[in-house]
Amino acid sequence: MQYPNTHPNDATQMTQSLSNQEFQDGDPESILEVRDLDVIFDMDRGESRVLDGVSFDVHRDEMLGIVGESGSGKSMFASALLNAVVDPGRAGGEVIYDDPDAGPVDVLSLSEDQLESFRWEEVAMVFQGAMSSFNPTMKIDEHFEETIQAHGKPMDERMAHARDLLADLYLDPDRVLGSYPHELSGGMKQRALIALSLVLDPEVLVMDEPTAALDLLMQRSIMNLLDTLQAEYDLTIVFITHDLPLVAGLADRLAVMYAFEFVEYGPSEAVIRDAAHPYTRALLKSVPSVDAALEDMNPIEGESPDPVDTPAGCSYHPRCPLADEQCVAEDPDYHDVGEGRGAACFHWERSSEAVDYELGVDPVVPDEPSRAAHGDEETVISLEDLEVHFDQSGFIDRLFDQDATVRAVDGVDLEIAENEVVALVGESGCGKTTLGKTAIGLQEPTVGTVRYRGHDVWEAKRGEGEIDHDRIRRALQIVHQDPGSSLNPTRTVRTSLAAPLKRWRPDLNSSDRETVVHNLLERVGMKPAEDYALRFPHQLSGGEKQRVVLLRALLMSPDLILADEAVSALDVSLRVEMMELMLSLQELFDTSYLFISHDFANARYLAEKSGGRIGIMYLGNLVEIGPAEEIIHDPKHPYTKVLRWATPPLDPDAAREARETEPPIREIDIPDPTDPPSGCPFHTRCPEAREVCREREPELMGSEGEASLAACFREDDDHAYWESDPIVEESTLENTS
Amino acid sequence: MSEYLGRARKGVAAAFGFLAGFDYYWRKIGHAFVTLISVTTITFVLFRLMPGNPAQAMRAQFEAQLEGSGQAADPEILDQMVQVHTGFDPSQPIYMQYFEYVRDIVLYQDFGQSIQYGDPVFDILFRAMPWSVFISVYGLALGYSTNILLGAAMAYKEGSRFDGTMTVVATFLNSIPYYVGALLFLAFFAHDLGWFPSGGRYDTSIEAGLNPAFMASIVHHGALPIMSSFIVGFGGGALAMRGNSVRILGADYLRVARLRGIGSVRIATRYVARNAILPLYTQMMIGIAAVFSSSVVLEYIFTYPGVGWYTFDAINMRDYPLLMGSFLFFTIVTLVGILLAEFTYGIVDPRAGSGGENESY
Ligand SMILES: Nc1ncnc2c1ncn2[C@@H]1O[C@H](COP(=O)(O)OP(=O)(O)OP(=O)(O)O)[C@@H](O)[C@H]1O
Ligand code: SF4
Ligand code: SF4
Ligand SMILES: [Mg+2]
Repeated sequence: MQYPNTHPNDATQMTQSLSNQEFQDGDPESILEVRDLDVIFDMDRGESRVLDGVSFDVHRDEMLGIVGESGSGKSMFASALLNAVVDPGRAGGEVIYDDPDAGPVDVLSLSEDQLESFRWEEVAMVFQGAMSSFNPTMKIDEHFEETIQAHGKPMDERMAHARDLLADLYLDPDRVLGSYPHELSGGMKQRALIALSLVLDPEVLVMDEPTAALDLLMQRSIMNLLDTLQAEYDLTIVFITHDLPLVAGLADRLAVMYAFEFVEYGPSEAVIRDAAHPYTRALLKSVPSVDAALEDMNPIEGESPDPVDTPAGCSYHPRCPLADEQCVAEDPDYHDVGEGRGAACFHWERSSEAVDYELGVDPVVPDEPSRAAHGDEETVISLEDLEVHFDQSGFIDRLFDQDATVRAVDGVDLEIAENEVVALVGESGCGKTTLGKTAIGLQEPTVGTVRYRGHDVWEAKRGEGEIDHDRIRRALQIVHQDPGSSLNPTRTVRTSLAAPLKRWRPDLNSSDRETVVHNLLERVGMKPAEDYALRFPHQLSGGEKQRVVLLRALLMSPDLILADEAVSALDVSLRVEMMELMLSLQELFDTSYLFISHDFANARYLAEKSGGRIGIMYLGNLVEIGPAEEIIHDPKHPYTKVLRWATPPLDPDAAREARETEPPIREIDIPDPTDPPSGCPFHTRCPEAREVCREREPELMGSEGEASLAACFREDDDHAYWESDPIVEESTLENTS
Repeated sequence: MSEYLGRARKGVAAAFGFLAGFDYYWRKIGHAFVTLISVTTITFVLFRLMPGNPAQAMRAQFEAQLEGSGQAADPEILDQMVQVHTGFDPSQPIYMQYFEYVRDIVLYQDFGQSIQYGDPVFDILFRAMPWSVFISVYGLALGYSTNILLGAAMAYKEGSRFDGTMTVVATFLNSIPYYVGALLFLAFFAHDLGWFPSGGRYDTSIEAGLNPAFMASIVHHGALPIMSSFIVGFGGGALAMRGNSVRILGADYLRVARLRGIGSVRIATRYVARNAILPLYTQMMIGIAAVFSSSVVLEYIFTYPGVGWYTFDAINMRDYPLLMGSFLFFTIVTLVGILLAEFTYGIVDPRAGSGGENESY
């Protein structure tokens, strides 16, 4: 790429003009040098400074992980690297790109034409919300072709490269290139997008939450692929995420963003092991992970700052336990806290005393058996041999006997006792939500029965049972993933919460109701309650809305609440807080939870803390279920092991180990649910599969001295499985083309 | 081997998909057919049972005519006359009449005979049709292209003065009924300014044929009706197009396309226009029917003898056979518009027909 000489600086001038920076300038290691970068939006409320004087270097051929809470400015940083800040935002400062052929250039002062060739040829980007990064009316190959054409590159050569890239990402190039975007699954689309971003062989790839919308397993698989791609194509990757454990094990360096600037950076392992900035430490503490001790997980108090009105001095001081007058008055510079590390904090030396966290402690398995094992609690809901089918075939399909039925739930037995927490985990489309909805009587089973305290729910619904259906309906409640849509936007918090009370507690008068509502609001931390009670949903944050929805469900004094991905939409640092709340309210209201999550770490938190169980679902089947500790620390079913592998540990040693192990799975993509595999549903992906798994379907079975059950022949030492031949076929993970 | 099987299975599945796709089309055609039959039936029944029974009225009319010319009103002759005109015999039971009516239409394209012109209804409508199609199609084409261009331009300049002004203009034009527009056009351009003729389809003094003068006179005569049916298709569409384009201009894929360096012409056509038109497409196709039905009033205002003009005339003159015929004509146009929209939607939107893929289980 050729740049006309627009940039006034040559390397020496640059060094001088920036010599007051504490970075080594003109560092041969750096490919991108960011200096005093501001991004400003003019808003009605005032000037919104969404990046505030950021100076930072990206090293050549590294994988840099950028983490931070939602709204901290991560995406702004990413866009600024390509001079692609959305209108009407303005980027100021310098972003120096050290072009290997043409020398350094300032990206922010390139002309439109220069930018056009700079982007994608030098620095490419995968956006947040990338699911919709393809034009829905164009096939995938057209996207590749138009890109190559727009940059005037040789078509055949580049298309051949595109095919290689797709194959590297375990996709079938012919199939993918010939498809429209909607014909691909989310994971496939995402991988196709990565291939598209690499088709012109850029030096740097910026990825903004590229995997946030995907299942954990897909996320991890893609992360592993990135690692390979990076080595193969000499890439520098900037990986942005709010999910610390996801990048912790893979990134070479980490940079933590808080309030529109980086508060700490350094080699990944060093930062994770002993973070210097109080915020990083608090963040590490607040993230639900599979390996940290439960009592160590704590939410960060307070709220992240508003870009229009960022606190003076250190922007973290309102939430920092170490803050003193100096922090309020002065903005801290980076302090050298170790080799290649920096932290913007005056008192970083004392941070480890103030905020204490530990990694990867082996939890002490509690002596007392979990509540589920007590067996003296009455069963609230029992599901027997449950099947739910969705028929998607049309008239002609049926005529030709073509079965397009999806068996969303395919033979599940489950009992939930009083005060129990059962967490269901599985990939998307595995039937978690359907099973949950069937359990609380919102979905009629195709086969099997749902009983509430021994009464058939659907008989009652038809008015044939002995029990009043209203009672069942009240006893089984639901909290959705998206709190916004389940609250009536025209009702205040008080009206929303008083409605169930009015209905179920006719003995209370309106001032009693008000007192109840206020007490509850205070209890869930929405203080002052008088103020919150009068707010409308749009005046609440996501976490607050979710609390109101939870309270509303609890006010029905139900026996069971289905919490469907109830914390997934919340920011990582708020999830622990919300789950804590759910547990404390559980004791208050005496209710059971059926908690659905695609995230092992969340399920673990809730289930382990309450001594509950975790159930693993795969293609409509419950493949393993048992006490949380056992499932987490000693998974038996090969699929549980895969999920467990996909949930990255925070501890750097464990993370490295996980990174080095190959994914324990033969195929990345889930089979078509309308055409599920014969025998054991997992045999197409199971690394342990043998011929017998193709023919016979395993039942849930337990082994000696263990409380958990797994549907795998390997649990049975005398099974024909052990004599059977392993399934050998060309695995997609090793060979695609 | 397993790959081979897999491919074979895919092939079979594709074949099924193909057939199933046709199933969809056949079903739609079936629906249209059922609608057509129902409309025919309802027209027929209304025609027979309306208060003051039109068939009866027609009979009385003939009676008066005959008496006026001094002939004796023989009931049989009257029945016969009614039958010639309407295609059914009033002395027969109603279901037989209905059967014969439909049979005549389907087998012989015989819609009966116009009372006032004495010609077969089919011939009259068939001759008038090209003229209606002429003004409607041009009006529509003009209306839709203006909508699309204007809507897209407003979206590109979102928030500018141009955008604001045009929004007001489009809203205003949208709220003017087309016949008011037509009357204003007539008053200004035809009567006051005399730029355009106030009626007729072409200059009768010019020899009809493929000569430039005749063509020019057709355009000259058609201009005002076309302008007026343009109003029918215009207005709301531009605002809808604007809304869609604004949405697409903010879409992720557009941002990515810009970063990939895709040229602005390609972005405007292949990305913005294509995706913004999609949601309007069905509505636009159905709009064909609206334009044709507006021709009843428009052609009357401009004394433009197309199907619409004959329809209006038939209402005035109580020419029931002609009225029924044109009623059927409009029904068929509407149904064809809808069918066309449904059938071609799959071509313009690749996602059509694969609705349930983002269901969560
Ligand atoms: N178009 C815009 N106009 C004004 N302010 C904006 C705009 N886009 C984002 N912001 C603000 O900029 C700040 C930083 O946003 P940014 O998108 O970079 O956050 P983020 O760290 O990527 O968060 P997330 O994890 O939720 O993606 C936020 O306060 C946000 O409200
Ligand atoms: S500078 Fe002060 S307020 Fe900021 S993080 Fe350090 S101790 Fe806390
Ligand atoms: S039964 Fe076979 S295929 Fe299924 S999980 Fe066990 S080993 Fe794997
Ligand atoms: Mg972001």
